[in-house]
Amino acid sequence: MSDLTTVGKKITKRDAPLKVTGGATYIQDLKIPGMLYGGILYSKYAHAKILKLDTTRAERLPGVMAVITAADVPNNFRFGIMKDNPPLKGGRVRSTRDEIAAVAAVSAEIAAAALELIEVEYEELPGIFDPLEAMKEGAPLVHEEMKSNILKMPWKLICGDVEAAKKESAYVVSDTFRTQWVTHCCLGTSGCIAALDTSNNLTMYSNTQIPSLAQNDYIEALAAFGLKGRRVRIIQCTIGGGFGSKLDTYAYEYIAILLAMKTRKPVKFIFSREEEFFATSPRQCSITKISQGCDKDGRLTFREMEMVLDNGAYTSWGATTPSVMMMPISSLYKVPNIKYVAQCVYTNNTYSQAMRGYGNPQATFAIESSLDQLAEKAGLDPYELRFRNANEPGELTPQNFQVTSCGMKECMAEVVKRLDWKGKKGNGNGRGVGMASLIHVGGGARVYKSDGCGTIIKMDDRGKVDVLTGATEIGQGSETVLAQIVAEVLGVPIDDINVINNDTDVCPWDVGAHASRSTFVAGNSALGAARKIREQMLAVAAQNMGEDPASLDIKNGVVFSRNDKEKSLPLSKVLRKVHYTSGGKMFMAEHFYDPPNENFDKEFKGNLSVSYAYGVHGVEVEVDRETGQVKILNYIAAHDVGKAINPMLLEGQIYGGGLMGIGYALGETMIYEKGRLKNGNFLDYKMPTAKDVPPVQAVIVETDEQAGPFGAKGIGEPGLVPTAPAIANAIYDAVGVRIKDLPITPEKVLRALQEKAQADTGRSGA
Amino acid sequence: MKREITFKLNNEERKVEVDPGWTLLYVLREVLELMGTKEGCGYGECGACTVIIDGLSVNSCLYPILEAEGRAVTTIEGLRAASGELHPLQQAFVNEGAVQCGFCTAGMIMSAKALIDENEKPTEDDIKDNIAGNLCRCTGYVQIIDAIKTVAGGGRT
Amino acid sequence: MTRFEYHKPHTIKEAIGLMGSLENAKFIAGGTDVMVLIKRKKIAPAHLISLRNINDFSSIDIGDGLQIGGGVTHSDIVANEFIQKRYSALTDAAGKVGSRQIRNVATVSGNICNAAPSADTACPLLVLDADVKIAGPKGERQVPLDDFFLGANRVDLGPGEVVTGFHLPPFGLNTGSAYIKHTRRQAMDLPMVGIAVRVTIRIGGSEIGCKDAFCTIDSISNILRRLEDEELRCEDVRIAMGVVAPRPVRARKAEAALKGKVISEALFEEIAEIAASEAQPRDSIRGEAWYRREMVKVLTKRAILISVDRVLRPDDMILRGHDAASCPRVRG
Repeated sequence: MSDLTTVGKKITKRDAPLKVTGGATYIQDLKIPGMLYGGILYSKYAHAKILKLDTTRAERLPGVMAVITAADVPNNFRFGIMKDNPPLKGGRVRSTRDEIAAVAAVSAEIAAAALELIEVEYEELPGIFDPLEAMKEGAPLVHEEMKSNILKMPWKLICGDVEAAKKESAYVVSDTFRTQWVTHCCLGTSGCIAALDTSNNLTMYSNTQIPSLAQNDYIEALAAFGLKGRRVRIIQCTIGGGFGSKLDTYAYEYIAILLAMKTRKPVKFIFSREEEFFATSPRQCSITKISQGCDKDGRLTFREMEMVLDNGAYTSWGATTPSVMMMPISSLYKVPNIKYVAQCVYTNNTYSQAMRGYGNPQATFAIESSLDQLAEKAGLDPYELRFRNANEPGELTPQNFQVTSCGMKECMAEVVKRLDWKGKKGNGNGRGVGMASLIHVGGGARVYKSDGCGTIIKMDDRGKVDVLTGATEIGQGSETVLAQIVAEVLGVPIDDINVINNDTDVCPWDVGAHASRSTFVAGNSALGAARKIREQMLAVAAQNMGEDPASLDIKNGVVFSRNDKEKSLPLSKVLRKVHYTSGGKMFMAEHFYDPPNENFDKEFKGNLSVSYAYGVHGVEVEVDRETGQVKILNYIAAHDVGKAINPMLLEGQIYGGGLMGIGYALGETMIYEKGRLKNGNFLDYKMPTAKDVPPVQAVIVETDEQAGPFGAKGIGEPGLVPTAPAIANAIYDAVGVRIKDLPITPEKVLRALQEKAQADTGRSGA
Repeated sequence: MKREITFKLNNEERKVEVDPGWTLLYVLREVLELMGTKEGCGYGECGACTVIIDGLSVNSCLYPILEAEGRAVTTIEGLRAASGELHPLQQAFVNEGAVQCGFCTAGMIMSAKALIDENEKPTEDDIKDNIAGNLCRCTGYVQIIDAIKTVAGGGRT
Repeated sequence: MTRFEYHKPHTIKEAIGLMGSLENAKFIAGGTDVMVLIKRKKIAPAHLISLRNINDFSSIDIGDGLQIGGGVTHSDIVANEFIQKRYSALTDAAGKVGSRQIRNVATVSGNICNAAPSADTACPLLVLDADVKIAGPKGERQVPLDDFFLGANRVDLGPGEVVTGFHLPPFGLNTGSAYIKHTRRQAMDLPMVGIAVRVTIRIGGSEIGCKDAFCTIDSISNILRRLEDEELRCEDVRIAMGVVAPRPVRARKAEAALKGKVISEALFEEIAEIAASEAQPRDSIRGEAWYRREMVKVLTKRAILISVDRVLRPDDMILRGHDAASCPRVRG
């Protein structure tokens, strides 16, 4: 492995030159001849009856080609994992993002003007916005046919005997933690162009991060719309950020299809920034009760968690985040006894979806905050408690995760060293340090029946390589990582690799850019295909060179003999010899890699991922006792990545995730009042700016994961998972107040400091 | 009522027929079909639409097109040398991993260019201050700041 | 896209003439507010009259204090070293408005005319006793900024009138000022609270000169403690508060309580309490009232301290790092 030429190197991003010159085509930039522009009318209320919906005036506006409402949606079509979401809502609206009418017009301006001409009369109904209220007996039902606001998703994980463990524990802590709604803030807003050919086959120009699953969604929709058996082709434009927001299909995409059907023209939707804020699906808020215990030696005895999640009015992947939360709950540190139940609750709020970390940040905030409380109760340094219970290679966790490589202790050591943990801990001078760890899937995640990805590699006559992959590039750099893997195996310069990754007509199936799986799964897939083609080429070269294939190697596009350096043959010659001969052939290979991981069984147990990624974040903060403001003085993000295929891109994931996590911890929150988003803009939604970047170190810990391509594991999501609890713990160390609900605003810190001062005075007075 | 205006765009005199209600961003993208400049919000809150006008970084989404008359506008398309070589800042963004999804990149580079044109040796604080109006969700800004530093230290054209 | 006609007069007279002759017209300067209001459909003017091309409109002139032209942008202010030294509060504020892109086009007069309670330059201009220069169909006039603000987003501008600039009186070397913008983010933010302060200080009746004791990186609190016997007296003071009332306001009771007194940190704390009692903040999605009031207290004290510091230790006097040898005043 030491003589790697491409893997492990700082290779520049393949698509960067196009992006720095403004040449990349995002959905915003794409125009199709004859294209119409779509617009959506959303509900004025979070919960209401629609008494009247009159589109006549809009239809009469010159330039308007179609106006559709719920009445135009055939067969009562609904989408989403619970099939509870009609693309256009009629009769009743359940959230302020409910789509009630849509137009297609010759310009975006006319489409917007048409929306203003649609007349709607509502009868406002009382809404329910607090999931705890929504769970109560007699609460108004968001979906009457469901009979309850609690979704029928029995999230429950039991390992060992928590009750018995509680009794035997020397120390037990219990508390409640809350997290807020936050959103992805992709800089490129959502959009699509739906185009039907004369046979009603659909081409969807899309931003999706799940092309194969989206294709399936649209095929189902076409069937419901009376176009059964038609083909769907998805062409992905350059994607202006994903982070989970494009992991599901949205109403606007189905509306685009319906409008394209009605007008027989391509129809484009581009979200405004406001729409992007309120009409895409964010990370849901959570309420978590947690108890943890340890024995007198600080060994964890049990972890019990009970969670309520605001699902919003309809169901998307947000409702399935408990499946990922189970991972840290059962397997972050060695905890023998686990109990976890989660309930997702319908409300009249926006509906929730996937976002980087997929539930893990919410769960880890509770676990890691609570661990510090436990350490204090047990009289242990929080680092010491964590180190004693740290995960290790070879472990089988209570949820039946088989831990292969694990660098948690090494990460912890890096944090302790770089932060000067011992020197800075517990000084109580307004400065403090905190840490938190993470576990995440690092070798795919079997959440569907397949966790696979396909790759096709073809060689041309000059030794250039086309790699057709199912993996989606959403900015994270999968294209570059795959090119590196293929270049390494084939022994060709990376510039000779062309990755094609944006067209379902030519790219093989893939389950999507999610679960930090692209490097691992698509990487293994590319690795398999590359090995196959290498074998074919070496066999032919061996014949031509009169050598044993086993003695041949390829470097820089030239096949050579390891035994006799004089003997060499350019790859291009090998390729042409095979091609331009009677009965000739072209070199092509395909490989479908489906990792040997397991779907959960009925008890939610099973080896979800082939390997697990670990990391530890440490932070030093300074708290302004007068204003409650928290300043990050130093941030260490140490990650076990298996093997860094591209350290530069990998650090980019850590920095990006880290700052997203800092935003989650300290400022970002979607402020909803009665189901309406009050801060849906970049001024009032406090996504961090360049000036908010603290001194940060990304530390790469390599553990060489045997199942990973060249030893690699996933790193897409982990960067933000432990950020918030690390910061909360540091604040506690600095000033002795624990903030249990995110974000940790100056108001909350100051109030807590005032309350603490009062309590301290009270105590000293008594 | 449409009006014809002349301005210098990427070192070339351009004559364009415009509606007074249009913004510079609209004209760049929809009339001149220069798609490198992006709209991330439309309200001057994200910086994706940043261009340089007479040496200063400006949000083109809020810039009335008629104000461009007689001025020199530089967009991301105008940075590359005639030979096709990338501008040192563009090259630095490539080299340092400052690009992920790329949607903020054009605006970010334009802000950085305005800065180094004005101040050859900006400090890290200067850099942060000058790109604070360019939001990026992917990178955490670290490698962007690094990229600008490599150019700001010298090698500027 | 909204339709409007766009006019580019070259003189103020021409601009005022246009305003008089056009229906539903609005002045536009940097456009960072007006264009946003139009895009958000809050206003729909038929005509925009640009102030960007007015001749000699963007100058900053020193003499009889400071004259700031109506077309001066926030970036112009930031780049001006004289303002930074002698009207520091204004530099503090201008440098913290929006982003560099916004500061490059947004004008100070535009910021003031919007009269948002959060307008960053309003508080500094209030404490720096700025007069607003106004031109209109009936001629020119000048009003103190405090009188110019009438209420929430309302200013003393008659039909066809336009702000042509500001006049700030001269201040001696014994005057220092500061503005603190309290935000959630470090940039691209509106203040939760903004506090500006100006103080003029005398020691036993004479102006403060250079004292080697000040050439130190010690905190201003410690320096004040060391100077307790010197009887530093507050000769004059202004305190202005943003986002705590429908318009930027002065904390007059706090000012009165400080004026003429021998200064000390303990006194500043009392003054800050008084200022907080004068604030009338509200709850909004941008901040809670109780917290804003609390911050008035904290920031008023801090802004006074910075202002005093700027008198005692002007920037060119403060040591770069710990290198005492490089300080000419120490060596001298």
